[in-house]
Amino acid sequence: MLYTIKLFVATAFIAFAFCMPAAAQRTDIRGFGDVTTTYQHKKMSFGFDEQDLFITSQLTDRISFLGETVFKPDSLSHSGFDVSIERIIIKYNYAGNNNLLIGKHHTPINYWNDTYHHGRVFFPTIFRPLLFDAGYIPLHTTGISLEGHDLGDIKFGYNLMVGNGLGSQDVLDNDKNKSVTALMYIKPVDRLRIGASYYHDVISKGAEVHDHPNIANWKVKQNLLTGSIAYFGKKYELLAESTMGLNHTDSTGTTRSFASYVYTGYHVTEKLIPYIRVDNLAFQDDEVYFKKNNTTAFLAGVRYQINFLTVVKLEYMHQHSTYEGDINKVTAQFAIGF
Amino acid sequence: MKYLMITLLLLITSFAKSQDAQLTVISNQKGAPAALNLTELKSIFMGERQRWRNGTKVVIALMKPNTETGKVISNKLYNMSSDEVNKFWLALVFQGRADSPVSFDSAAALESFVASNPGAIGIVAQNDLPADAQVTLIDGKKAF
Repeated sequence: MLYTIKLFVATAFIAFAFCMPAAAQRTDIRGFGDVTTTYQHKKMSFGFDEQDLFITSQLTDRISFLGETVFKPDSLSHSGFDVSIERIIIKYNYAGNNNLLIGKHHTPINYWNDTYHHGRVFFPTIFRPLLFDAGYIPLHTTGISLEGHDLGDIKFGYNLMVGNGLGSQDVLDNDKNKSVTALMYIKPVDRLRIGASYYHDVISKGAEVHDHPNIANWKVKQNLLTGSIAYFGKKYELLAESTMGLNHTDSTGTTRSFASYVYTGYHVTEKLIPYIRVDNLAFQDDEVYFKKNNTTAFLAGVRYQINFLTVVKLEYMHQHSTYEGDINKVTAQFAIGF
Repeated sequence: MKYLMITLLLLITSFAKSQDAQLTVISNQKGAPAALNLTELKSIFMGERQRWRNGTKVVIALMKPNTETGKVISNKLYNMSSDEVNKFWLALVFQGRADSPVSFDSAAALESFVASNPGAIGIVAQNDLPADAQVTLIDGKKAF
């Protein structure tokens, strides 16, 4: 009798499982990677960059998951590699095009950070703009945000984020201060996005900040104001962003710095796009938080999109900076997605 | 020479036909409205809308861009090549802004999916339209 009941329950469960709606849950796994060749200081080097594992899953009608994990070379690691969770986000779609996001995000402070993440096959140039290497903007925030997109005729979008802030670990805030990010943008015509953002944080004295060369010697109140314009049309491409950084300490007052870049590309054919980019980082003499490495760079390159998963790029870059002087570099990259 | 000309003519005709192929929007009973305009349709298929007015989640069903109907949809609706449509959707999903469409090799499979999934909306060639499909009018017409 007991065996019959168990058999009946098991059969009913299996029948029910196969009757579940077809779109109940869907998980997609993607990856991205690239290899490079660089010629610099009369020396040619072969190398590779991050390998990006990207997972998305629709968990319920309103809840979804996104995870991005990166495996990258790290000379400081005993294995020569490091693993980093770059994004881990649970999204709840609570109404229309409005969502609640919890987890580790790329701080939506500018178009590049909010759009390209670690997928180099999407990058219009080989490397990120110099303001990223300079540690100028907070790349990641672990926190909570409200975001909306494509609202109204001008396709208004916003993102309001509160997070652990600079100096924190991924799982623990280092102080009571929280970072705040507010982004707004519009898409008034096809392929054009105009946006602005505000970022505020308090960096505690003694904090070690990821991607920042020095320990903070003072408590710094930081405000970053960013404007951006992005147009990626069938013929012309333009991406221009500028961030004004205001760092305040009680002893030194407020210093102001600027980090900007302008990129433009032209589709000779659908697949062949020559491009140029100019970067500029300018710091005040008494800047207390950022490394005062005034830098100007110019690069020219060509991108060939074999298909949407394979892109080849070739670039020449000339850079002049206070600490490194003149650098000339030629780089070739083969970036893929799968 | 005569056979080459005939072959060439057939190829050109076939290409022209595929470019002019009429498309029809089909939808599940729950979700999509009975009528849309072309601008609204494009917005939906660009991932700009997450929910229908009744709160049902928008689920996009697309013929794969490398199919004949998929190529026509890429050209007519997206004004992109098939490769650009693939890149567009991969980028949108990568940014976390939208769920990827559900892609199909056959119209029959797409129609079956749309019929059985609330909120689903898809586009098929008018010639592939089954008799019992729920059609969403575009600018007041069954095909565009």
